[in-house]
Amino acid sequence: MIGGRRPLRGTKPGDRRVKVERPHAEYFRYAAPGVLTAKAKASEARSRQGRLWAQVRRIVIGRPLASEEEIGERLPKKKALAIFSSDAISSSTYATEEILRVLVLAGATGLALVSIGMSVAIAFLLAVVATSYRQICFAYPSGGGAYAVSKANLNQPAALIAAAALLFDYIMTVAVSVVAGVAAIYSAVPELFAGRTVIAVTAIAIVTVGNLRGLRESGNIFAVPTYLFVIGALGIVGIGVVRIAIGDPAVTFEPREAITPPLGGFELLAPALFVRAFAAGSVALTGTEAISNGVPAFKPPESRNAAMTLGIMAALLGILFVGFTVVSDAFGVIPRPEGETVVSQLGRIAYGQTPLYYLFQAATALILLLAANTSYNGFPRLAEIVARDGYLPRQFAFVGDRLAFSFGIILLGAVSAALVVAFGGDTHALIPLYSVGIFASFTLSQTGMVRHWLRERSRGWPYRLGVNALGALMTAVVTVVVIVGKFVLGAWLVLVFVPSIVAMMWLIHRQYAAEERELALRPDQVIGPPRRRQRVVVPVPGISRAVVQAVNFGRTISPDVRAVHITNDLEEGQRLRCEWERQIPGVPLVLVESPYRELVRPFVRYLDVVDLDPEVITVVVLPEFVARHWWERFLHNQTAQRIRAALVGRPDTVVASVPYRREAAET
Amino acid sequence: MVRFEVVTTPDKPVFQRAVLGLNGGPLDSAVVRLACGLAQTGRSELVGVHVIEADWSHELTDDLVGDSAVPQQILDAAEAIAERARVPMTTVLLQARNVGAAIADEAAQREADLIVLGLPYRRRFGGDFDEGKVIPYVLANARSRVWVVREAQPAEDAA
Repeated sequence: MIGGRRPLRGTKPGDRRVKVERPHAEYFRYAAPGVLTAKAKASEARSRQGRLWAQVRRIVIGRPLASEEEIGERLPKKKALAIFSSDAISSSTYATEEILRVLVLAGATGLALVSIGMSVAIAFLLAVVATSYRQICFAYPSGGGAYAVSKANLNQPAALIAAAALLFDYIMTVAVSVVAGVAAIYSAVPELFAGRTVIAVTAIAIVTVGNLRGLRESGNIFAVPTYLFVIGALGIVGIGVVRIAIGDPAVTFEPREAITPPLGGFELLAPALFVRAFAAGSVALTGTEAISNGVPAFKPPESRNAAMTLGIMAALLGILFVGFTVVSDAFGVIPRPEGETVVSQLGRIAYGQTPLYYLFQAATALILLLAANTSYNGFPRLAEIVARDGYLPRQFAFVGDRLAFSFGIILLGAVSAALVVAFGGDTHALIPLYSVGIFASFTLSQTGMVRHWLRERSRGWPYRLGVNALGALMTAVVTVVVIVGKFVLGAWLVLVFVPSIVAMMWLIHRQYAAEERELALRPDQVIGPPRRRQRVVVPVPGISRAVVQAVNFGRTISPDVRAVHITNDLEEGQRLRCEWERQIPGVPLVLVESPYRELVRPFVRYLDVVDLDPEVITVVVLPEFVARHWWERFLHNQTAQRIRAALVGRPDTVVASVPYRREAAET
Repeated sequence: MVRFEVVTTPDKPVFQRAVLGLNGGPLDSAVVRLACGLAQTGRSELVGVHVIEADWSHELTDDLVGDSAVPQQILDAAEAIAERARVPMTTVLLQARNVGAAIADEAAQREADLIVLGLPYRRRFGGDFDEGKVIPYVLANARSRVWVVREAQPAEDAA
C-alpha cells in the first residue's frame, strides 16, 4: 500500500529526497507479508455520537486493551488468592449462622457439641474436595473445572449438567454474597437495614463495572480488604480460643438470649433436623471450585500456583469456619431473625464497640463483595468455554475492550441483581437455592476424575483415584442431603432451572450444528465461476439523483435491469413513465397499480411473478438517501427499510442498498 | 519491556522531538526503546525515519519499494514498540541518494532537537572499525544533537 511520492528539497542543492506516502500507516500496521494489524485508531468510532459513547466507555471501563497486553493480566498467587478464594473464605461468614439458625431457632438448645461436630464434618468434606480439586488443577491446566473434567471423562450430558449447575451457582454466589455483605453493613449501622435491597443492587452494579474494566484492576480493588478480613477473622477466632482456654466467665456454651420457639431438648434432633442443619452448613464449600476453573488466569507455572493457592484457601476456610462455630457456641451467640449477623456479634465480643470492630465489619462487607467478584471471573470464563463448544451463544466468547468477557459479565450482573430484588435482599431466603448445583458439579467432576485415573494410570494413581472416589461418594451423598434438606425451602427451583438451562444449551448446540452442516464445504470441493444470471429490480418512487445512482449501479451488475413503480394513481404513473423513458432510456419501467394503496406487498408479489426462472438471482437495489442528521432519518428511507425487512430470507434474492449522499449533489 | 531510567529536571525534558534513523538492523529496537524511555519522561514525540538509498541507475522518484513489505515492516515494528510504550510516533519513508543527508534534512525540517542512530559493530577489511557513511555525515552536518547507539563489541573482537 504505497501511495504517491513527494519530492522534497534538502539543505544542500544536491540533497533531494522523496517522501513515499503510506496511506495505510494511520490505521494499519504490517505484521507479516499479507497480514495487516489494525491500530487502535482503526477501531475508533466515526460518528460524533459514536465518539461520545466511546469517551463515556473509556471513562467508565477504561481504555481498550490490545490482545497482546493480555499476558500482563495474569495473576500472581497473592492477588489470585484474594480474587479466587474470597468466595470460599467469605462463606464462613454465613455458613455457621445457617447451621445455628436451623439448630437453635428450631428450639434445640444445648447443642453446641452437635454444631461443632457438624462444622468439623463439613471441614473434613472441604479437605477431601479441595484435595480432589488440586488434582484437577494439574490434570486440566486449561481450566473449565467440573465442565472440562466431565466432558473429557464422562459424557456431554453430564458436562452440560455440571456447566449449568456451576453457572447457576455463580449467579447465586453474586446474589448471596452481596446480600450478606450488605447484612454486614447494617449489622454495624442498623439504620441502613431498610435500604438493603437498593444498597445490594448498587453494589452489584459497582462490581460489574469494576470487572468490565479488566481482571488486574479488579484484583487491585479487592486484594487489601480480603487480607484485612482474614486477619480480623483469625483475630476473632484466636481471641475466642484464648478466652475459652483461660476459662473466661463469658464462656457458658449456653445461648445468651431466650430462644423462640422454646421447644428445646434433644427430642427435636430428629434425622430431618440433622439433614437440614448439615445442608445449611454445606454452603461453606461453595467457591472451592473457582480456582480450578481459573487456572489459565494464574502466572506460570499455572497449575502449580493454582494448586498451592487452593491449598491455602481450603486451610483458611476450614480454620475460620470451625473457629467461628466453636466461638459462637462458647459465647452462646445465636442468630437473630432480623438485624445483626452472627459474625458481627462475634466481632463485638472480640473487639468490643471499638474502631477495630467497624474495620472488621467493613472488611467483611468488602470480602463478600470480592466473593461476588469471584463469580465475575468464573462465570464468564466458563460461559466462554461452553460457548466455544457451541452450547451457548457465541457472544459469550467475545473478549471486550478490557480483555474481559463483557457479555457474560453484564448477564451475570443483571440476573443476580434481579434475584436480589425478587428475594427482597434477604440472605436466608436466597441460601436454600444455593449449593445444590455446586455439590452436583462436585460429584460429576470427581466421578470424572475417577475415570481419568483409571484410564491414565499415571504415577501414584491408586492414591489419587482413592481421593477422588471418596470425594465423589461424599459429595453425592451431600447432594442428596442438600436436595432433601432444602427442597421445600427453595431447592426445587434449582431442580427446575438447571435442567432448563441444560435443555437450552442442547437446543443451541443443535441449532449451531445444523447451521454448520448447511454452511460447510466438502474438503474436495473446488468452487468454479458463477453460472447463474442476475436480474436487477429497482423499486423507484420517482426520478431523483438517488434513483439514477441505484439504477446505474444495477446496470453494472447485469444487463437485465428494470425499475418498478408501485402507485395508486395510474395517471401520475403514466406521467412518470414518460419522464423515465425520456431521461433514463434503456431501462424499462414497470408500473404496478395498487388500488389498496399498499406499497411493499405488491412489490414482493411482483418479484414472485417475475422470479419463475430458478436459474436467475434477483438483486433488489434500493436507493437510499443518507441523512446528515439523526432526526432526518425519520423523514427518509422508511419504505426502503420495509422492503428490506419483507425480503429477509427470501430465496434466490439479494438486497443491496445504494446510499446517496447530499454532498455528492453539491459537488 | 526494557525501561530506561533517565534523570531529568521536571521542567526540561531531554528532547521535544527526536528523529530516529531506522535501517531494519538489530539496533532499531534498542534505539526506539531508548527514545521511548526518554520520551515518556518529557511527553516528547518521536519520528521514525527509514531511507531507501536510490542508486544512480534509478530516478529518485522511481518506485523502489515495489511489492516489498520490508520498509513498511521496519517502520511498523518501531511504531508498535512506541505504541506499547504509549509514546506518540510518526513514521516517514524516504528515498534519497544520500541517506545521511535525508535524515539530517528531515530532522531539520521537522525541527527535531535530537537524532538517534544505531551503529552496528563492524570492521573493514584490514581491521579498522567501520562507522559507515551515514553516521559521519549526520554527525558533521545535522543541526540538532546526535546520539549514536553503538552495538556491543563482539566477544571475538574484544579478545
